[in-house]
Amino acid sequence: MNSSQPSAGSACPYSGKPLADLSLTDPLIQAYPTSFYQTLRSEEPVHFDAKLGMWLVSRYEDIVTLLRDPDTYSDKHGYEAQYASGYFEEFKEILEREGGGFFSDAIKSDPPYHTRIRKLLEKAFTAHRVKALEPGITKIVADLADKFAEKAANGNVVDGVKEFAIPLTIAVICEQMGIDQYNGEKISRWSVAITAQIGRMQNRESMIANAKEICDLQNFIIAQMKDREQSPREDMISDLVHASTEDGEKLTFAEAVSLIRALIIAGNDTTATAIGNLLFILATKPELAQELYDNVEDSRYMNRFVEELLRYAPPVRGLAKMTTCETELGGQKLPKGAHMLVLYASGNADETRFECPQQFDTGRGNLGSHVAFGVGIHRCIGASLARMEINVAAKELIKRVKNIKLAIPMDELKYQPTVATHTIESLPMLLERRV
Amino acid sequence: MSEIKIIFIETDGTEKIVENAKLGATMMDVARANGIDGILGDCGGGCACATCHVYVDPAWQAVVGNPDEIEEMTLDMAGEVQANSRLSCQLVLNSEMDGIKVTVAPLV
Ligand code: HEM
Ligand code: FES
Repeated sequence: MNSSQPSAGSACPYSGKPLADLSLTDPLIQAYPTSFYQTLRSEEPVHFDAKLGMWLVSRYEDIVTLLRDPDTYSDKHGYEAQYASGYFEEFKEILEREGGGFFSDAIKSDPPYHTRIRKLLEKAFTAHRVKALEPGITKIVADLADKFAEKAANGNVVDGVKEFAIPLTIAVICEQMGIDQYNGEKISRWSVAITAQIGRMQNRESMIANAKEICDLQNFIIAQMKDREQSPREDMISDLVHASTEDGEKLTFAEAVSLIRALIIAGNDTTATAIGNLLFILATKPELAQELYDNVEDSRYMNRFVEELLRYAPPVRGLAKMTTCETELGGQKLPKGAHMLVLYASGNADETRFECPQQFDTGRGNLGSHVAFGVGIHRCIGASLARMEINVAAKELIKRVKNIKLAIPMDELKYQPTVATHTIESLPMLLERRV
Repeated sequence: MSEIKIIFIETDGTEKIVENAKLGATMMDVARANGIDGILGDCGGGCACATCHVYVDPAWQAVVGNPDEIEEMTLDMAGEVQANSRLSCQLVLNSEMDGIKVTVAPLV
């Protein structure tokens, strides 16, 4: 059942080519990666992509092995080697000159430092804390869904990504961080600029443009921190400005800036991508849209639906790690300093792990073992929040609309050029209001 | 009493006894601090990852009680769930639990 997977269709741009001639830097492969991943898994599960200069890790088992061994596979070094790749010095200079400083990412680090930083953030993101946010977020989402359905009601084409998924996640972050909507609108641009730093598709010109956006973001964060220092509020920026670790140590200024930046950005593109995927799937699998509608009041079904959506269409494609010593993974010898790209998306499609991986099946026994959020010590901190946002989005939307369709042919969909995520850029669609 | 005893049975049947588990800590914290195999606690006790799944010995089920709705939803995704399944990060140790026995669930 591949009807909604353009990747598996006839458009396959590389069938028959040997692996050595293919690269994840190819925008077509980025857009339609399914058979590329499959070729990797079956032919060379830990494969050196020469153009990208990274080892692609594609099998579920190897991904989990790697992620559970943070001493051998450093997050910090993998990330830093990926960051602003090719232009790092110039990038750093721009930030130091115009953006208040270069603040390396405190959370993208290794133990024992990482453990200390992570503990500080975890409390704010437990499933129980997130549950308490649900009523407020439901209100925001219901409002947006109303507007979206209203606009579409007269036969107008609406953009599921730009008019629903992105504004939704931004509204939630603003609420959480205590940022007003006006600044919220810039968050989308800031996210794109940050994500581009690990996407590996940046040229010098776009690096400079992105660096300026990040300066803008940092100057904004620093001003917000000053404001909260003087007058604390009930929001996450206040929490971080005033946070101290278990041993009573306070975060440094640079750590706080980097963490606020991470929390504004990490949950933004990723969750918006997931909601974009949700709309795409509802538009291309009418039987599933009906099933969702029929079960919308069943919370067990809804949770499973969200989890299977994340397995089936994982927003994060690949993040970087680096070996700290010579080692071996999946039968492949690796030198010290090998730059690894962990293909979460390929792990979720591994047929040895998930039966008929291209089938959307909320009844899977091992649903929860997907790796869309990673595993191990860096497992996504925002998972509960993301799940809840997607859950509420699915629920509030399907209660209001039906006959959801794409307004353009499937193969005209545009994906963001990046190795880090698999993100639909714009999703023109038609839908009808339920009465 | 500020410390209790916990008996962990790892997935391969190995029994590990922790004598000095602090009251008020979670069972997951104790398991991690004592290197119990199969209790990973990826999410740090956030009830979000199910990598701290245990089966509570039937004799102790009444003492620990049932999972709340949020824990149940996370458990539902865990696989190999049984009637006595709990997420050990949600079990805050109290004096009634002295001597409690749990079996570590396999990671699916
Ligand atoms: C569907 C939405 C999301 C997806 C698919 C996702 C995915 C991921 C993945 C794959 C990782 C990295 C794991 C690794 O290094 O191997 C990660 C880490 C992280 N995520 Fe998410 N994420 C999402 C939403 C969020 C949200 C809403 C937030 C917070 C507001 C967030 C905050 C973070 C942070 C701070 C980290 C770094 C954790 C660490 O390194 O210890 N994410 N996420
Ligand atoms: S530690 Fe993650 S659910 Fe218990």
